[in-house]
Amino acid sequence: MWRATSLLENVQERHPVPPPQRKGDLREIDLFFHSKVQVEEFEAATMAHFPALYRTARLLARESAEAEDLVQEVYLEAWKSFHRFERGTNCRAWLFKILFHRLHHFRRRWAKAAKAEPFEKPEDQDSIMAEAPVPQEIRDKDVLEALGRVPIEFREVVLLADVQEFSYKEIAETMKLPLGTVMSRLSRGRKLLRQELAHVAGSYGIRLGNNQARTGESA
Amino acid sequence: MNVLNFDSEQCERIRQRLDAYLSNELLVETTSDVLRHLERCEACTRELEARSRARDALRRAAENQIAPEELRQAIQRRLRESHIGFLGAPRRLAWALALAGLVVAMLGAIAAQHWIKVVEGRRIVAGVLALGVSDHLQCAIKGHNYPDIANPPELLRKKLGPQYAGVLEVVQKNLPGFEILEAHICSVQGSPRKYVHFIARGRDTILSVILTKSDGVQLPNGTMLRSGTSGSVNLYEAHLEGMNVVGFESKGYLGFVVSDLNRDTTVQIARTLAPPLNAALQTTS
Repeated sequence: MWRATSLLENVQERHPVPPPQRKGDLREIDLFFHSKVQVEEFEAATMAHFPALYRTARLLARESAEAEDLVQEVYLEAWKSFHRFERGTNCRAWLFKILFHRLHHFRRRWAKAAKAEPFEKPEDQDSIMAEAPVPQEIRDKDVLEALGRVPIEFREVVLLADVQEFSYKEIAETMKLPLGTVMSRLSRGRKLLRQELAHVAGSYGIRLGNNQARTGESA
Repeated sequence: MNVLNFDSEQCERIRQRLDAYLSNELLVETTSDVLRHLERCEACTRELEARSRARDALRRAAENQIAPEELRQAIQRRLRESHIGFLGAPRRLAWALALAGLVVAMLGAIAAQHWIKVVEGRRIVAGVLALGVSDHLQCAIKGHNYPDIANPPELLRKKLGPQYAGVLEVVQKNLPGFEILEAHICSVQGSPRKYVHFIARGRDTILSVILTKSDGVQLPNGTMLRSGTSGSVNLYEAHLEGMNVVGFESKGYLGFVVSDLNRDTTVQIARTLAPPLNAALQTTS
Protein backbone atom coordinates (compact mmCIF):
# COMPACT_ATOMS: atom_id res chain seq x y z
CA MET A 1 0.00 0.00 0.00
CA TRP A 2 2.91 2.35 0.63
CA ARG A 3 3.63 2.22 -3.07
CA ALA A 4 0.11 3.28 -3.96
CA THR A 5 0.27 6.16 -1.53
CA SER A 6 3.57 7.46 -2.77
CA LEU A 7 2.34 7.17 -6.33
CA LEU A 8 -0.78 9.04 -5.32
CA GLU A 9 1.31 11.97 -4.18
CA ASN A 10 3.12 11.90 -7.43
CA VAL A 11 -0.07 11.80 -9.43
CA GLN A 12 -1.73 14.47 -7.39
CA GLU A 13 1.18 16.69 -8.14
CA ARG A 14 0.65 16.15 -11.83
CA HIS A 15 -3.11 16.26 -11.68
CA PRO A 16 -4.09 18.27 -8.68
CA VAL A 17 -7.72 18.33 -7.72
CA PRO A 18 -9.07 21.54 -9.22
CA PRO A 19 -9.77 24.12 -6.53
CA PRO A 20 -13.11 25.94 -6.61
CA GLN A 21 -13.18 28.09 -9.70
CA ARG A 22 -12.90 31.81 -9.42
CA LYS A 23 -14.40 34.04 -12.07
CA GLY A 24 -11.90 35.45 -14.51
CA ASP A 25 -9.25 32.96 -13.45
CA LEU A 26 -9.37 30.39 -16.20
CA ARG A 27 -6.62 27.86 -16.12
CA GLU A 28 -5.81 25.23 -18.69
CA ILE A 29 -7.89 22.63 -16.90
CA ASP A 30 -10.87 24.93 -17.18
CA LEU A 31 -10.45 24.87 -20.91
CA PHE A 32 -11.25 21.17 -20.82
CA PHE A 33 -14.38 21.67 -18.83
CA HIS A 34 -15.59 24.55 -20.89
CA SER A 35 -14.62 23.20 -24.25
CA LYS A 36 -17.91 23.80 -26.00
CA VAL A 37 -18.72 27.14 -24.48
CA GLN A 38 -15.14 28.21 -24.97
CA VAL A 39 -15.13 27.40 -28.67
CA GLU A 40 -18.22 29.45 -29.21
CA GLU A 41 -16.92 32.32 -27.14
CA PHE A 42 -13.56 32.12 -28.85
CA GLU A 43 -15.10 32.20 -32.28
CA ALA A 44 -17.39 35.06 -31.39
CA ALA A 45 -14.45 37.08 -30.13
CA THR A 46 -11.89 36.30 -32.81
CA MET A 47 -13.42 35.34 -36.14
CA ALA A 48 -14.54 38.89 -36.89
CA HIS A 49 -10.87 39.80 -37.15
CA PHE A 50 -10.05 36.98 -39.53
CA PRO A 51 -10.12 39.13 -42.71
CA ALA A 52 -7.85 41.80 -41.24
CA LEU A 53 -5.43 39.20 -39.92
CA TYR A 54 -5.33 37.38 -43.21
CA ARG A 55 -4.86 40.54 -45.27
CA THR A 56 -2.05 41.72 -43.06
CA ALA A 57 -0.42 38.30 -43.12
CA ARG A 58 -0.80 38.14 -46.88
CA LEU A 59 0.99 41.47 -47.31
CA LEU A 60 3.85 40.37 -45.12
CA ALA A 61 4.23 36.81 -46.38
CA ARG A 62 5.81 35.96 -49.67
CA GLU A 63 2.93 33.88 -50.94
CA SER A 64 -0.63 33.04 -50.01
CA ALA A 65 0.22 29.57 -48.67
CA GLU A 66 2.59 31.15 -46.16
CA ALA A 67 -0.08 33.63 -45.14
CA GLU A 68 -2.56 30.81 -44.62
CA ASP A 69 -0.10 28.89 -42.46
CA LEU A 70 0.61 32.01 -40.50
CA VAL A 71 -3.06 32.77 -39.84
CA GLN A 72 -3.76 29.17 -38.84
CA GLU A 73 -0.91 29.37 -36.37
CA VAL A 74 -2.25 32.63 -35.03
CA TYR A 75 -5.61 31.03 -34.30
CA LEU A 76 -3.95 27.98 -32.80
CA GLU A 77 -1.83 30.15 -30.55
CA ALA A 78 -4.79 32.35 -29.66
CA TRP A 79 -6.93 29.35 -28.80
CA LYS A 80 -4.21 27.95 -26.59
CA SER A 81 -3.90 31.15 -24.63
CA PHE A 82 -7.54 32.24 -24.77
CA HIS A 83 -7.92 31.51 -21.07
CA ARG A 84 -5.32 34.19 -20.44
CA PHE A 85 -7.08 36.73 -22.64
CA GLU A 86 -8.66 39.35 -20.48
CA ARG A 87 -12.31 39.61 -21.42
CA GLY A 88 -13.36 43.07 -22.41
CA THR A 89 -9.91 44.15 -23.56
CA ASN A 90 -8.98 44.75 -27.17
CA CYS A 91 -9.21 41.39 -28.89
CA ARG A 92 -8.00 42.75 -32.22
CA ALA A 93 -4.83 44.14 -30.66
CA TRP A 94 -4.29 40.83 -28.85
CA LEU A 95 -4.63 38.85 -32.08
CA PHE A 96 -2.27 41.17 -33.95
CA LYS A 97 0.22 40.79 -31.14
CA ILE A 98 0.09 37.03 -31.67
CA LEU A 99 0.33 37.52 -35.42
CA PHE A 100 3.55 39.48 -35.09
CA HIS A 101 4.92 37.05 -32.57
CA ARG A 102 4.35 34.19 -35.02
CA LEU A 103 5.60 36.31 -37.88
CA HIS A 104 8.86 36.74 -36.03
CA HIS A 105 9.33 32.96 -36.13
CA PHE A 106 8.25 32.73 -39.73
CA ARG A 107 10.60 35.47 -40.70
CA ARG A 108 13.60 33.43 -39.68
CA ARG A 109 12.59 31.03 -42.40
CA TRP A 110 12.30 33.89 -44.83
CA ALA A 111 15.54 35.51 -43.71
CA LYS A 112 17.55 34.20 -46.60
CA ALA A 113 15.19 35.67 -49.13
CA ALA A 114 15.25 39.01 -47.33
CA LYS A 115 19.04 39.08 -47.39
CA ALA A 116 19.03 38.62 -51.10
CA GLU A 117 17.22 41.92 -51.45
CA PRO A 118 19.37 44.68 -49.95
CA PHE A 119 17.61 47.97 -49.98
CA GLU A 120 19.14 51.36 -50.45
CA LYS A 121 19.25 53.40 -47.33
CA PRO A 122 17.10 56.45 -47.85
CA GLU A 123 17.74 59.82 -46.27
CA ASP A 124 16.56 59.92 -42.72
CA GLN A 125 14.54 63.08 -42.91
CA ASP A 126 11.77 63.98 -45.24
CA SER A 127 13.26 65.98 -48.01
CA ILE A 128 11.82 69.33 -48.90
CA MET A 129 12.21 68.24 -52.48
CA ALA A 130 8.76 67.75 -53.82
CA GLU A 131 7.93 64.08 -54.11
CA ALA A 132 6.52 62.81 -57.36
CA PRO A 133 2.77 63.05 -57.05
CA VAL A 134 0.82 59.93 -56.33
CA PRO A 135 -1.47 59.32 -59.27
CA GLN A 136 -5.13 60.10 -58.71
CA GLU A 137 -6.20 56.71 -59.79
CA ILE A 138 -4.02 53.78 -59.24
CA ARG A 139 -4.82 50.12 -59.48
CA ASP A 140 -4.81 48.03 -56.32
CA LYS A 141 -2.38 45.66 -57.94
CA ASP A 142 0.13 48.47 -58.48
CA VAL A 143 -0.23 49.65 -54.89
CA LEU A 144 0.35 46.16 -53.55
CA GLU A 145 3.35 45.70 -55.80
CA ALA A 146 4.77 49.00 -54.61
CA LEU A 147 4.15 47.94 -51.03
CA GLY A 148 5.85 44.62 -51.70
CA ARG A 149 9.02 46.50 -52.62
CA VAL A 150 9.13 48.18 -49.22
CA PRO A 151 11.32 46.10 -46.86
CA ILE A 152 9.26 44.11 -44.42
CA GLU A 153 10.36 45.87 -41.25
CA PHE A 154 8.97 49.11 -42.63
CA ARG A 155 6.03 47.53 -44.41
CA GLU A 156 4.66 46.00 -41.22
CA VAL A 157 4.49 49.24 -39.26
CA VAL A 158 2.96 51.06 -42.22
CA LEU A 159 0.27 48.38 -42.48
CA LEU A 160 -0.50 48.56 -38.78
CA ALA A 161 -0.69 52.34 -38.75
CA ASP A 162 -2.21 53.23 -42.10
CA VAL A 163 -4.40 50.22 -42.87
CA GLN A 164 -5.31 48.82 -39.48
CA GLU A 165 -5.19 52.28 -37.90
CA PHE A 166 -3.52 51.21 -34.70
CA SER A 167 -2.11 54.02 -32.61
CA TYR A 168 1.67 54.36 -32.47
CA LYS A 169 1.57 53.19 -28.87
CA GLU A 170 -0.44 50.11 -29.78
CA ILE A 171 2.03 49.31 -32.55
CA ALA A 172 4.93 49.60 -30.12
CA GLU A 173 3.15 47.15 -27.81
CA THR A 174 2.19 44.79 -30.61
CA MET A 175 5.69 44.64 -32.01
CA LYS A 176 7.49 44.95 -28.71
CA LEU A 177 9.49 47.87 -30.02
CA PRO A 178 10.30 51.22 -28.43
CA LEU A 179 7.92 53.96 -29.51
CA GLY A 180 10.78 55.92 -31.07
CA THR A 181 11.71 52.96 -33.26
CA VAL A 182 8.11 52.61 -34.39
CA MET A 183 7.98 56.28 -35.30
CA SER A 184 11.23 56.28 -37.22
CA ARG A 185 10.29 53.09 -39.08
CA LEU A 186 6.91 54.55 -39.90
CA SER A 187 8.45 57.73 -41.19
CA ARG A 188 10.87 55.84 -43.39
CA GLY A 189 8.34 53.21 -44.44
CA ARG A 190 5.78 55.75 -45.55
CA LYS A 191 8.39 57.63 -47.49
CA LEU A 192 9.63 54.48 -49.19
CA LEU A 193 6.08 53.57 -50.12
CA ARG A 194 5.48 57.02 -51.59
CA GLN A 195 8.67 56.68 -53.60
CA GLU A 196 7.50 53.34 -54.92
CA LEU A 197 4.10 54.78 -55.73
CA ALA A 198 5.86 57.60 -57.53
CA HIS A 199 7.51 54.99 -59.73
CA VAL A 200 4.06 53.72 -60.51
CA ALA A 201 3.03 57.31 -61.16
CA GLY A 202 5.88 57.43 -63.63
CA SER A 203 4.58 54.39 -65.38
CA TYR A 204 1.15 56.01 -65.47
CA GLY A 205 2.73 59.24 -66.72
CA ILE A 206 2.36 58.66 -70.37
CA ARG A 207 -1.15 57.40 -70.10
CA LEU A 208 -2.18 60.24 -67.84
CA GLY A 209 -0.27 62.77 -69.91
CA ASN A 210 1.42 64.02 -66.80
CA ASN A 211 5.08 64.63 -67.60
CA GLN A 212 5.82 65.76 -64.12
CA ALA A 213 5.12 62.29 -62.88
CA ARG A 214 7.69 60.66 -65.11
CA THR A 215 10.24 60.06 -62.46
CA GLY A 216 10.45 56.32 -62.81
CA GLU A 217 10.80 54.03 -65.75
CA SER A 218 7.98 54.62 -68.14
CA ALA A 219 5.80 51.81 -69.28
CA MET B 1 12.22 66.76 -59.39
CA ASN B 2 10.95 70.22 -58.67
CA VAL B 3 12.17 72.40 -55.88
CA LEU B 4 9.19 74.36 -54.69
CA ASN B 5 9.40 77.89 -53.62
CA PHE B 6 8.42 78.19 -49.99
CA ASP B 7 9.69 78.92 -46.56
CA SER B 8 11.78 75.81 -46.52
CA GLU B 9 12.59 75.70 -42.86
CA GLN B 10 9.03 75.91 -41.70
CA CYS B 11 7.71 73.63 -44.44
CA GLU B 12 10.37 71.10 -43.56
CA ARG B 13 9.22 71.12 -39.96
CA ILE B 14 5.53 70.81 -40.88
CA ARG B 15 6.10 68.05 -43.41
CA GLN B 16 7.79 65.95 -40.81
CA ARG B 17 4.53 66.08 -38.91
CA LEU B 18 2.05 65.55 -41.72
CA ASP B 19 1.84 61.79 -41.36
CA ALA B 20 1.40 62.00 -37.61
CA TYR B 21 -1.24 64.65 -38.26
CA LEU B 22 -3.10 62.24 -40.57
CA SER B 23 -2.82 59.56 -37.92
CA ASN B 24 -4.15 61.91 -35.28
CA GLU B 25 -1.02 61.41 -33.23
CA LEU B 26 -0.07 65.05 -32.68
CA LEU B 27 -0.56 67.01 -29.52
CA VAL B 28 -3.28 69.63 -29.68
CA GLU B 29 -0.79 72.51 -29.89
CA THR B 30 1.21 70.88 -32.67
CA THR B 31 -1.99 70.17 -34.58
CA SER B 32 -2.85 73.87 -34.39
CA ASP B 33 0.61 74.75 -35.72
CA VAL B 34 0.15 72.38 -38.65
CA LEU B 35 -3.32 73.71 -39.43
CA ARG B 36 -2.18 77.33 -39.26
CA HIS B 37 0.64 76.55 -41.66
CA LEU B 38 -1.60 74.64 -44.06
CA GLU B 39 -3.99 77.58 -44.25
CA ARG B 40 -1.36 79.69 -45.90
CA CYS B 41 0.89 77.14 -47.64
CA GLU B 42 -0.49 75.66 -50.80
CA ALA B 43 2.53 73.41 -51.40
CA CYS B 44 2.19 71.72 -48.02
CA THR B 45 -1.56 71.39 -48.50
CA ARG B 46 -0.91 69.59 -51.79
CA GLU B 47 1.63 67.43 -50.05
CA LEU B 48 -0.90 66.56 -47.36
CA GLU B 49 -3.44 65.64 -50.02
CA ALA B 50 -0.90 63.45 -51.77
CA ARG B 51 -0.06 61.63 -48.58
CA SER B 52 -3.69 61.20 -47.71
CA ARG B 53 -4.36 59.87 -51.19
CA ALA B 54 -1.47 57.43 -50.95
CA ARG B 55 -2.79 56.21 -47.63
CA ASP B 56 -6.31 55.80 -49.00
CA ALA B 57 -4.98 53.89 -51.98
CA LEU B 58 -3.04 51.60 -49.68
CA ARG B 59 -5.99 50.97 -47.40
CA ARG B 60 -8.30 50.33 -50.32
CA ALA B 61 -5.87 47.93 -51.97
CA ALA B 62 -5.24 46.09 -48.72
CA GLU B 63 -8.90 45.80 -47.88
CA ASN B 64 -9.88 44.67 -51.34
CA GLN B 65 -7.85 41.53 -50.88
CA ILE B 66 -10.14 38.62 -50.34
CA ALA B 67 -9.56 36.55 -47.23
CA PRO B 68 -10.23 32.98 -48.36
CA GLU B 69 -13.48 31.64 -47.00
CA GLU B 70 -12.09 28.11 -47.13
CA LEU B 71 -9.38 29.08 -44.67
CA ARG B 72 -11.91 30.54 -42.27
CA GLN B 73 -14.01 27.41 -42.56
CA ALA B 74 -10.99 25.17 -42.08
CA ILE B 75 -10.09 26.99 -38.88
CA GLN B 76 -13.64 26.87 -37.57
CA ARG B 77 -14.05 23.24 -38.54
CA ARG B 78 -10.97 22.22 -36.63
CA LEU B 79 -12.11 24.19 -33.63
CA ARG B 80 -15.60 22.77 -33.59
CA GLU B 81 -14.81 19.21 -34.48
CA SER B 82 -12.07 18.59 -32.04
CA HIS B 83 -12.78 21.30 -29.49
CA ILE B 84 -9.47 21.25 -27.74
CA GLY B 85 -8.05 18.82 -30.26
CA PHE B 86 -7.14 21.98 -32.14
CA LEU B 87 -4.25 22.23 -29.74
CA GLY B 88 -2.47 19.86 -32.03
CA ALA B 89 -0.20 16.98 -31.21
CA PRO B 90 -1.81 14.12 -29.33
CA ARG B 91 -0.42 13.90 -25.85
CA ARG B 92 -0.36 10.18 -25.47
CA LEU B 93 1.97 10.23 -22.53
CA ALA B 94 -0.09 12.86 -20.79
CA TRP B 95 -3.32 10.97 -21.05
CA ALA B 96 -1.69 7.68 -20.23
CA LEU B 97 -0.36 9.30 -17.09
CA ALA B 98 -3.78 10.72 -16.40
CA LEU B 99 -5.34 7.30 -16.75
CA ALA B 100 -2.78 5.90 -14.38
CA GLY B 101 -3.54 8.81 -12.11
CA LEU B 102 -7.19 7.89 -12.06
CA VAL B 103 -6.65 4.43 -10.75
CA VAL B 104 -3.71 5.15 -8.51
CA ALA B 105 -5.57 8.05 -6.99
CA MET B 106 -8.53 5.78 -6.36
CA LEU B 107 -6.29 3.28 -4.65
CA GLY B 108 -4.77 6.00 -2.60
CA ALA B 109 -8.08 7.66 -1.87
CA ILE B 110 -9.58 4.49 -0.64
CA ALA B 111 -6.56 3.60 1.45
CA ALA B 112 -6.60 7.09 2.84
CA GLN B 113 -10.21 6.77 3.94
CA HIS B 114 -9.23 4.79 6.94
CA TRP B 115 -7.60 7.76 8.52
CA ILE B 116 -8.87 10.84 6.74
CA LYS B 117 -11.89 12.69 7.98
CA VAL B 118 -15.12 12.55 6.01
CA VAL B 119 -14.66 16.05 4.68
CA GLU B 120 -11.23 15.25 3.40
CA GLY B 121 -12.54 11.99 2.02
CA ARG B 122 -15.19 13.88 0.10
CA ARG B 123 -12.51 16.03 -1.45
CA ILE B 124 -10.49 13.02 -2.49
CA VAL B 125 -13.43 11.14 -3.94
CA ALA B 126 -14.41 14.25 -5.86
CA GLY B 127 -10.80 14.31 -6.96
CA VAL B 128 -11.01 10.75 -8.19
CA LEU B 129 -14.02 11.61 -10.28
CA ALA B 130 -12.33 14.80 -11.42
CA LEU B 131 -9.46 12.71 -12.66
CA GLY B 132 -12.00 10.64 -14.55
CA VAL B 133 -13.06 13.85 -16.22
CA SER B 134 -9.46 14.73 -16.81
CA ASP B 135 -8.82 11.38 -18.51
CA HIS B 136 -11.73 11.80 -20.82
CA LEU B 137 -10.67 15.29 -21.72
CA GLN B 138 -6.99 14.52 -21.96
CA CYS B 139 -7.43 11.48 -24.09
CA ALA B 140 -10.61 11.96 -26.04
CA ILE B 141 -10.93 15.70 -26.33
CA LYS B 142 -7.60 17.33 -25.86
CA GLY B 143 -5.49 14.52 -27.28
CA HIS B 144 -8.11 13.88 -29.93
CA ASN B 145 -7.06 10.25 -29.83
CA TYR B 146 -9.84 9.11 -32.06
CA PRO B 147 -10.53 9.25 -35.76
CA ASP B 148 -13.22 11.48 -37.27
CA ILE B 149 -14.63 8.41 -38.97
CA ALA B 150 -15.12 5.48 -36.63
CA ASN B 151 -12.53 2.74 -36.77
CA PRO B 152 -14.12 -0.47 -38.07
CA PRO B 153 -15.26 -2.91 -35.37
CA GLU B 154 -12.76 -5.54 -36.53
CA LEU B 155 -9.91 -3.14 -35.89
CA LEU B 156 -11.29 -2.17 -32.50
CA ARG B 157 -11.71 -5.79 -31.53
CA LYS B 158 -8.15 -6.41 -32.57
CA LYS B 159 -6.97 -3.46 -30.49
CA LEU B 160 -8.87 -4.72 -27.47
CA GLY B 161 -7.59 -8.26 -27.78
CA PRO B 162 -9.54 -11.46 -27.11
CA GLN B 163 -10.19 -10.61 -23.47
CA TYR B 164 -12.06 -7.37 -24.12
CA ALA B 165 -13.21 -7.76 -27.72
CA GLY B 166 -16.56 -8.98 -26.44
CA VAL B 167 -16.98 -5.91 -24.22
CA LEU B 168 -16.97 -3.69 -27.32
CA GLU B 169 -20.29 -5.11 -28.43
CA VAL B 170 -21.78 -4.66 -24.96
CA VAL B 171 -20.71 -1.03 -24.81
CA GLN B 172 -21.94 -0.30 -28.33
CA LYS B 173 -25.28 -2.05 -27.73
CA ASN B 174 -25.89 -0.21 -24.48
CA LEU B 175 -24.93 3.24 -25.68
CA PRO B 176 -27.96 4.04 -27.82
CA GLY B 177 -27.42 7.07 -30.05
CA PHE B 178 -23.64 6.81 -29.81
CA GLU B 179 -21.11 5.47 -32.23
CA ILE B 180 -17.87 4.06 -30.91
CA LEU B 181 -15.03 5.75 -32.71
CA GLU B 182 -12.14 4.22 -30.88
CA ALA B 183 -11.33 1.59 -28.30
CA HIS B 184 -7.95 0.68 -26.97
CA ILE B 185 -6.06 -0.71 -24.06
CA CYS B 186 -3.31 1.30 -22.57
CA SER B 187 -0.90 0.91 -19.75
CA VAL B 188 1.71 3.00 -18.07
CA GLN B 189 5.36 2.20 -18.12
CA GLY B 190 6.46 0.37 -15.03
CA SER B 191 2.98 -0.83 -14.12
CA PRO B 192 1.21 -4.01 -15.13
CA ARG B 193 -2.17 -2.26 -14.81
CA LYS B 194 -4.30 -2.05 -17.94
CA TYR B 195 -6.94 0.51 -18.82
CA VAL B 196 -9.69 -0.06 -21.33
CA HIS B 197 -10.92 3.12 -22.97
CA PHE B 198 -13.90 3.48 -25.28
CA ILE B 199 -14.49 6.79 -27.04
CA ALA B 200 -17.95 7.33 -28.47
CA ARG B 201 -19.58 10.16 -30.38
CA GLY B 202 -23.24 11.07 -30.29
CA ARG B 203 -25.67 13.77 -29.19
CA ASP B 204 -23.18 16.37 -30.42
CA THR B 205 -20.49 15.37 -28.02
CA ILE B 206 -17.75 12.92 -27.21
CA LEU B 207 -18.24 10.49 -24.37
CA SER B 208 -15.72 8.19 -22.71
CA VAL B 209 -16.16 4.87 -20.99
CA ILE B 210 -13.09 3.91 -18.98
CA LEU B 211 -12.61 0.55 -17.29
CA THR B 212 -9.88 -0.88 -15.16
CA LYS B 213 -9.52 -3.95 -12.99
CA SER B 214 -10.13 -2.99 -9.40
CA ASP B 215 -7.72 -5.62 -8.08
CA GLY B 216 -9.67 -5.80 -4.87
CA VAL B 217 -10.18 -2.05 -4.51
CA GLN B 218 -13.69 -0.73 -3.96
CA LEU B 219 -15.23 2.64 -4.57
CA PRO B 220 -16.14 4.16 -1.22
CA ASN B 221 -19.58 3.52 0.21
CA GLY B 222 -21.62 5.85 2.28
CA THR B 223 -22.98 9.30 1.81
CA MET B 224 -20.01 11.03 0.37
CA LEU B 225 -21.65 11.40 -2.98
CA ARG B 226 -25.12 11.09 -4.28
CA SER B 227 -25.20 7.49 -5.22
CA GLY B 228 -27.63 4.99 -6.52
CA THR B 229 -27.73 1.51 -7.73
CA SER B 230 -28.51 -0.04 -11.02
CA GLY B 231 -29.19 -3.71 -10.66
CA SER B 232 -26.54 -4.78 -8.23
CA VAL B 233 -24.12 -2.08 -9.38
CA ASN B 234 -23.36 0.94 -7.21
CA LEU B 235 -23.16 4.27 -9.01
CA TYR B 236 -21.31 7.36 -7.86
CA GLU B 237 -21.78 10.62 -9.59
CA ALA B 238 -20.34 14.08 -9.61
CA HIS B 239 -20.92 17.22 -11.57
CA LEU B 240 -17.62 18.88 -12.16
CA GLU B 241 -17.35 22.15 -14.00
CA GLY B 242 -19.77 21.31 -16.73
CA MET B 243 -18.75 17.68 -17.07
CA ASN B 244 -20.67 14.84 -15.54
CA VAL B 245 -18.93 11.74 -14.40
CA VAL B 246 -20.53 8.60 -13.11
CA GLY B 247 -18.30 6.01 -11.50
CA PHE B 248 -19.50 2.48 -11.04
CA GLU B 249 -18.16 -0.56 -9.45
CA SER B 250 -18.57 -3.84 -11.14
CA LYS B 251 -17.27 -7.05 -9.70
CA GLY B 252 -13.56 -6.88 -10.20
CA TYR B 253 -13.69 -3.63 -12.19
CA LEU B 254 -14.06 0.10 -11.76
CA GLY B 255 -15.70 2.03 -14.54
CA PHE B 256 -16.42 5.61 -15.46
CA VAL B 257 -18.76 7.31 -17.89
CA VAL B 258 -17.66 10.85 -18.60
CA SER B 259 -19.50 13.38 -20.72
CA ASP B 260 -20.59 16.98 -20.90
CA LEU B 261 -24.20 15.89 -21.28
CA ASN B 262 -26.52 16.83 -18.44
CA ARG B 263 -26.57 14.93 -15.17
CA ASP B 264 -29.71 12.92 -15.80
CA THR B 265 -28.57 11.83 -19.22
CA THR B 266 -25.15 10.79 -17.99
CA VAL B 267 -26.60 8.90 -15.06
CA GLN B 268 -29.12 7.26 -17.37
CA ILE B 269 -26.34 6.19 -19.71
CA ALA B 270 -24.38 4.74 -16.80
CA ARG B 271 -27.47 3.00 -15.44
CA THR B 272 -28.09 1.37 -18.80
CA LEU B 273 -24.46 0.49 -19.30
CA ALA B 274 -23.36 -0.66 -15.86
CA PRO B 275 -25.40 -3.92 -15.43
CA PRO B 276 -24.63 -5.47 -18.83
CA LEU B 277 -21.00 -4.37 -18.46
CA ASN B 278 -20.96 -5.94 -15.04
CA ALA B 279 -22.21 -9.21 -16.51
CA ALA B 280 -19.80 -9.07 -19.43
CA LEU B 281 -16.84 -8.26 -17.22
CA GLN B 282 -17.61 -11.09 -14.85
CA THR B 283 -17.53 -13.55 -17.68
CA THR B 284 -14.37 -11.89 -18.95
CA SER B 285 -12.57 -12.28 -15.65
